[in-house]
Amino acid sequence: MSQPSQHTSSPAAESPSQGAAVPIWLIVLTVMLLYVGALYFDDHGGWFHPQVYGPYNSFAELEPYQPKSDGSSFAQGRAVYGKTCVACHQASGLGTPGQFPPLCASEWVNEAEPGRVIRAVLNGLQGPITVKGHDFNNVMVPWNSLSDEDIAAVITFVRQNKEWGNKASAVTPAQVQAVRPKIKAHPAAFTADELLKISPAD
Amino acid sequence: MNNGPLVFLAAFFALSASWFGFVLTPQIQIGRQQQETNIVNTAEMYPQLRPGIAHQGMEVYRANNCAACHSQQVGQTGVVVDLVLTETGTNLTAVDAVLKKMDAGANVAGLVSGLPKTILSGATMDAADTLAKAFKKAGAKAETRLVSVGPDMARGWGLRRTVAADYLYDYPVMLGSLRVGPDLANIGLRSPDANTHLNHLYAPRSVVSGSAMPSYRFLFETRKISGTPSPDALQLPKEFTPAAGFEIVPKPEARQLVAYLLSLHSDTPLYEAPMSAPVAPKPIAVAK
Repeated sequence: MSQPSQHTSSPAAESPSQGAAVPIWLIVLTVMLLYVGALYFDDHGGWFHPQVYGPYNSFAELEPYQPKSDGSSFAQGRAVYGKTCVACHQASGLGTPGQFPPLCASEWVNEAEPGRVIRAVLNGLQGPITVKGHDFNNVMVPWNSLSDEDIAAVITFVRQNKEWGNKASAVTPAQVQAVRPKIKAHPAAFTADELLKISPAD
Repeated sequence: MNNGPLVFLAAFFALSASWFGFVLTPQIQIGRQQQETNIVNTAEMYPQLRPGIAHQGMEVYRANNCAACHSQQVGQTGVVVDLVLTETGTNLTAVDAVLKKMDAGANVAGLVSGLPKTILSGATMDAADTLAKAFKKAGAKAETRLVSVGPDMARGWGLRRTVAADYLYDYPVMLGSLRVGPDLANIGLRSPDANTHLNHLYAPRSVVSGSAMPSYRFLFETRKISGTPSPDALQLPKEFTPAAGFEIVPKPEARQLVAYLLSLHSDTPLYEAPMSAPVAPKPIAVAK
């Protein structure tokens, strides 16, 4: 062999990388594409919210399409009643004799203005109360944790329930909202006497 | 390999990132999804567990690989809003003024007799809302109705897109990826007649001429009529009837499969897929 083997003698035979720089325009293009992609993702991705599906692009966009409550929805009121009121006042609205007063044809429920009923639902009731000529003495828990819409719906459901012999006016969420600040000073449950001192229209 | 650990770390990072993104995160988000109770205005739960016979039908659907040719997912590309006037109230002049302002070429006199009437169709939510408020101010009642749009909706395959909650009681979830036949996500709604389904399974061409679906005759029994004919026997068109003195009776598998098909309907409004309930159930005509 006259020539030495290239494998052993010359490590430089394989040309080393020249270290060619990435062209600057490619870096700029990549950054711009990433930027546009991020903007698109922000607009259309819904941030992976599990309740956001196309064609809605975000949770906020989905919200206006939900059915609106005008406080007169009978079905919504029935649903709220079934969850919160039914344990004491019963599905029939007749209450439990001697323990919990009835809502059917009750003079408290059927007042022309709903001010007293709204207060009773928001803060609860305690102590002696006379309904339809019968005396009751028990405690009703406050339901101020419910939304204005739910309270308006459930009171409307009770006041307009023809099955129960009730035919009073509907209650709007705005009316419930208006009562909330007025009873800030009275966090405890109302008594019947206190309610009677309040004008129902207030 | 000089950079072994680096290559390993890069591969590990790439795989774990996709595992977090495609497996773990969806599992955390919807892996424990429950029946929904926030269907507005009703106390119903959705979805309901299938009755036993329909549940068995799901196994028949799976065994016959129906999902190879039928998908069970409908999409939606957008949503538009219709405004329907339901009551004019007593202040007709005010309602007329609102109508004039929107310049729809309608007037109250023509509307009173023909309510409910669609005043606005294919509008945005904002436009419909503004107009609904104007009507409310005038003492009239107007309802906004959501209309899903998209190719699948145009084919009449659904009322809204399908979402994860629709498949809560499906195991395995048979979404399907090929649409040789029509989508079945709402077949129980579109074709609510069990006998049509039985005829279609026995002889697809007896219901849809030119159907590419194979006949599933092994789900039926050809029986010699002894005494009175079975009330369950199929009523088929002439060219599909068996020889004289014989009748076609569905086996339990066929009944189960039909019960499963009838249980397929994603027509409940959900928070993530709002829709307006259909005015009246409209059965879709099946070509004879």
